[in-house]
Amino acid sequence: MKSFGILLKNELKLNIRNMNMVIFAVIMPLLVLIVLGFIYGTKPAADGVSYTFMEQSFGALCCISICAGGLMGLPLVVSEYRERKILKRLKVTPVSPAKLLLVEFLIYVIYCVVSMFTLFTAAMLFWKIKIHGSFLLFLGSWLLTMVSTLSIGLLVGGIAKNMKSASVIACILYFPMLIFSGATLPYEVMPVAMQKIISIFPLTQGIQLMKAVFLGLPIENALLPVTIMIAVTLICFGISVKCFKWE
Amino acid sequence: MQTVINVEQLSKSYGNLLAVDKISLSVKCGSVYGLLGANGAGKSTMIECILGTKDPDSGTVSVLGYNSKKDRRRLFQNVGVQFQEGDYQPEIKVSELCEESACLYEAPADWKKLCEQFGIGNKIDHAVKSLSGGERQRLFIVLALIPNPELVFLDELTTGLDAKARRDVWKILSELKSKGLTIFLTSHFMDEVEALCDEICILRNGKAVFFGTVEQAKKASGYENFEDAYLMLSGEEVEKE
Repeated sequence: MKSFGILLKNELKLNIRNMNMVIFAVIMPLLVLIVLGFIYGTKPAADGVSYTFMEQSFGALCCISICAGGLMGLPLVVSEYRERKILKRLKVTPVSPAKLLLVEFLIYVIYCVVSMFTLFTAAMLFWKIKIHGSFLLFLGSWLLTMVSTLSIGLLVGGIAKNMKSASVIACILYFPMLIFSGATLPYEVMPVAMQKIISIFPLTQGIQLMKAVFLGLPIENALLPVTIMIAVTLICFGISVKCFKWE
Repeated sequence: MQTVINVEQLSKSYGNLLAVDKISLSVKCGSVYGLLGANGAGKSTMIECILGTKDPDSGTVSVLGYNSKKDRRRLFQNVGVQFQEGDYQPEIKVSELCEESACLYEAPADWKKLCEQFGIGNKIDHAVKSLSGGERQRLFIVLALIPNPELVFLDELTTGLDAKARRDVWKILSELKSKGLTIFLTSHFMDEVEALCDEICILRNGKAVFFGTVEQAKKASGYENFEDAYLMLSGEEVEKE
């Protein structure tokens, strides 16, 4: 347990020193929030609805850091450690793969938490957003979306051959999910045909769920996205620990 | 005397290249064992098969009575390893690297003291990448000793060190040996092997061509000088003019 804390502390320091994630997972979502804030302000999302556009987009904004951490940061850092033979050095120590992966995983959870917190504070102070639905349900669906997306990244990092293939896989996952799942382009402004196609992304499911509970809208079928996300998490975790490659 | 490493009939090939060919060896507790040979003779492959970072094609390996692959986590509580090309996180500092290594063990040595001993005590706040080659080499020996090991593997331990630093490292290793540490090393410096090793094994194209002490090697080859003896036994002898 003590070793877990020390590893987490040092790896987090190294990660922050690298600055990439500070920019992509904390500053970038904040910039998108500010741009949206200047465009839409406190305007309602549509005629006759009681919630604002900013409130409707809040869940999606939280997913920018989830995407950056889970689909870029996490797979790249794990495969970099493999390529640089840092994992080989760790293989001849008593550390377990599960502990190593969990440490790296938690670092990105921390980024997501920080990002969510700064977004919420900024949006509340400047654009007066408030939660119409249940705060706890929102937190739950945010957590589920985050954990399932990060676990996909963990799987990619855990089993990719080298940094190059990890970065190709990461790009294939990252860009379509970031742009089309509703994390940057609002789902609502897309044509209906496109909405249908992108709803296969687990992230889209998560964003829709977060939006519904944030706005207090009726949830028609919460069981499906929840089951999908839990299943993705368990499968990805299982495979990445079981098939972990040191070299 | 107790056997710490026991290797039997170990073979490993890469494609058509037979890197290690049916080698058996055993290392006694508290001794210094030197694995010698030219570049590409199979030393690193041998070490990696013993450590379980490579799978041998055939043969058995036991280290401290454990199977290095199956009992990895128990075995490496008591074994320190320094690889030829050790790597580290790009921005990491000496203190962070030592702390991260120390936290993995149940009863680690005091890494600050080890850094002092190896002459890098004033560098602990520096980034590892800013160290000189020699300082980095000493840091990696420190890392191998952090577990407070019963057995340590040192692959080309003093490559890149100046004469004084090499002597210092020998002295520290001799002291640790007198406290019961078993050392398995590879080296290209025959003066070092002569100064440290109780037993040696010389590899040539993946085959073990000599087992014994330094004195026995001199006798077997007919040379007074150990380096000449090594060159003759390893088949690297310089053509006489």
